[in-house]
Amino acid sequence: MQNVLSILFCLSLFYLSVTSRVKAYVTILRFQGLLLTVLLVFPFIHHFSIFALILPATLFIVKVIVIPRYINKIILDLDIKRVIEPTIQPFTFLLLVIFSMVVVFVASNILSKSADIETIPFASGFTAIVVGIFVIIFRKKLIIHVAGFLVLENGIFLFGTAVASELPMMIELGTLLDIFVVVFLMGIAINKISSTLAGFDVTVLGRLKD
Amino acid sequence: MFEFSILIFIPLLSAVVCYFITNIRLQFSVTLFVSALHLIFSLMIFIGWYQPELPFYFSTDSLSKLFLPVLSNVYFWVVLVSFSYLKKQTTANSEEGKKYYFLLLNFYLFANTAAILSNHFGMYWVAVEGTTLSVAPLIYYYRNEEALEAMWKYLFLVSIGIAFAFIGILFLTLSANGTLLEGKQLFFPEFVKHASELNPVWLKASFIFIFVGLSTKIGIAPMHSADVDATSNSPSPIAALMSGSLRVTALLGVMRIFQIVQPTSTYQFAKTILIIGGLLSLFVAFVFMFKVNNYKRMLAYSSIEHLGIITLGIGIGGLAFVGAMYHVIYNSLNKIVLFFTAGNIHRKYKTREVEGVSSVLNILPWSGWLIMISFLSISAIPPFGIFFSELMIFEGILFSNKPWILAVTMFLLLFIFINMGKTLFQMLYKKNEGEIILIKKERFEIIHFATIVLLMLLIAIAVISPNILHDNIVNISKDFGIKL
Repeated sequence: MQNVLSILFCLSLFYLSVTSRVKAYVTILRFQGLLLTVLLVFPFIHHFSIFALILPATLFIVKVIVIPRYINKIILDLDIKRVIEPTIQPFTFLLLVIFSMVVVFVASNILSKSADIETIPFASGFTAIVVGIFVIIFRKKLIIHVAGFLVLENGIFLFGTAVASELPMMIELGTLLDIFVVVFLMGIAINKISSTLAGFDVTVLGRLKD
Repeated sequence: MFEFSILIFIPLLSAVVCYFITNIRLQFSVTLFVSALHLIFSLMIFIGWYQPELPFYFSTDSLSKLFLPVLSNVYFWVVLVSFSYLKKQTTANSEEGKKYYFLLLNFYLFANTAAILSNHFGMYWVAVEGTTLSVAPLIYYYRNEEALEAMWKYLFLVSIGIAFAFIGILFLTLSANGTLLEGKQLFFPEFVKHASELNPVWLKASFIFIFVGLSTKIGIAPMHSADVDATSNSPSPIAALMSGSLRVTALLGVMRIFQIVQPTSTYQFAKTILIIGGLLSLFVAFVFMFKVNNYKRMLAYSSIEHLGIITLGIGIGGLAFVGAMYHVIYNSLNKIVLFFTAGNIHRKYKTREVEGVSSVLNILPWSGWLIMISFLSISAIPPFGIFFSELMIFEGILFSNKPWILAVTMFLLLFIFINMGKTLFQMLYKKNEGEIILIKKERFEIIHFATIVLLMLLIAIAVISPNILHDNIVNISKDFGIKL
């Protein structure tokens, strides 16, 4: 099941690389959040406990409901144009994503021989980290940068489940809270940037230089 | 639990109180009280008058005992001068920034103390991210375009950096697979005890990710850019807070993983990475000092230079490591002084450009002389502490197996000194043509008082060299397996 979810996660990354609509990014974030929630709930299906549901429930609220809604609100409030402004062609971007995915999967397969890791979730998570960075590098809009950052964070989360991370629940909740506040602050900053600097993309940020 | 309440819970409570109080003076009084309490307690723990018993995820060791007073001290002075700083408006919109100033400062103390006292990588990560979140809105205090850009860049780049550090932490879990540590969570002391059993490949990966990730926060080149922008565009007390304590807290994370790496085969590799990071930071400071035209940016590069020296000292080991620990204290004291006096100049001249500042010694005699003395201090002129710590680091490098590093370091430092001096003396002495200066007396303010006390402290610690400090640093060295 973990493998199926991870592959679905990878498919969402492909969609992310070809779409040119801002809204689609929000949908992808929602979908990835949902996948991660299912991934967390799944091990507890047979021995259900309320306590074990706290983390998946928080994850669901933060990543599927609150953050996507907040990003949608910013898009509507600021009337951000509906298309992302890429700096490279979508096809080139897709090739780049496929290439990195292949490299990460092959490398993970080699690594899995020397360590006890689940190859598919491990590689999917790491690919998402790389794709998140690509999104930040090759897109102009700041709101898409935030989405890229969230894809990267989702990748780390998936990756964390693959390495059987033993982070206690309190810490996991803390990380979720931190991510939420980061996105919240970034949202406020984008609002201010659009009103002060009259723009929503990186080209307006060029004042600080040596 | 009592000490836990004082150090961690009360700052949080004070942040909540500041949210409900609208009067800035009252907010200031509450925050100052909390900071004084924090300072007294940190010193008591450092001296050993008090053995704290902290709950799960928190504990103290020699390293946190040293870093805690560094934080408390910087924080106390920053809060002390903040009120007089806030009273004088610098930009039209900064009024808005005052509202949450003390709230965020309290939250910063809460998060930073939690980071220093944590004994668990996960807790450390959450707390360090908390410090970023509290500092980012403070950077935007002036509410102008530059501050906004600096805040965005800092928030974004540091968050990504910290995400990388998180990947490093996950790699660390991987390195513990199949050892006694499996299933024991990520407590530092456990990892240090069983370090030799860890898988070297994953440990190496973990070190790289944690080092690179936290470099964005420490300001180690080439990940320094957001840090420079943030330090140079934030109000001076916040810049002092970042340079004096925040960078050091991030350095603590790197030192924790370095301590784990120490008995393993990855040690040499980690040392090399630290040395490269240190030298690269010195090189970046060296290059940018040639063309710097903004004096606060110059101080931000000076921070990079000194954190570079500290990283270099840690990487070299031996006596250089001891010097680096002293340097952490002296640099933090010196950075407060430099940023406070630079803040006075900024308030008067309303510009950060070197071109726009002239005849400081005539117009602001107190601030002018104090910035000159603090410049001499940061340039390692005796009897200030930095001289002694740098001497130790240099001696450590000279007697290590890489003495050529000393030649490179000295060369870079010489030019940094010359260029920094040139810029600063131009500000202090230059007179614009036809400029008539009416010699006025600068009012002696709390900032000058703080600066003088801190400069005296810089001399006193170095000259008296308290045994308790020396013993603590020797204990840290022992924890890091360094034979002196």
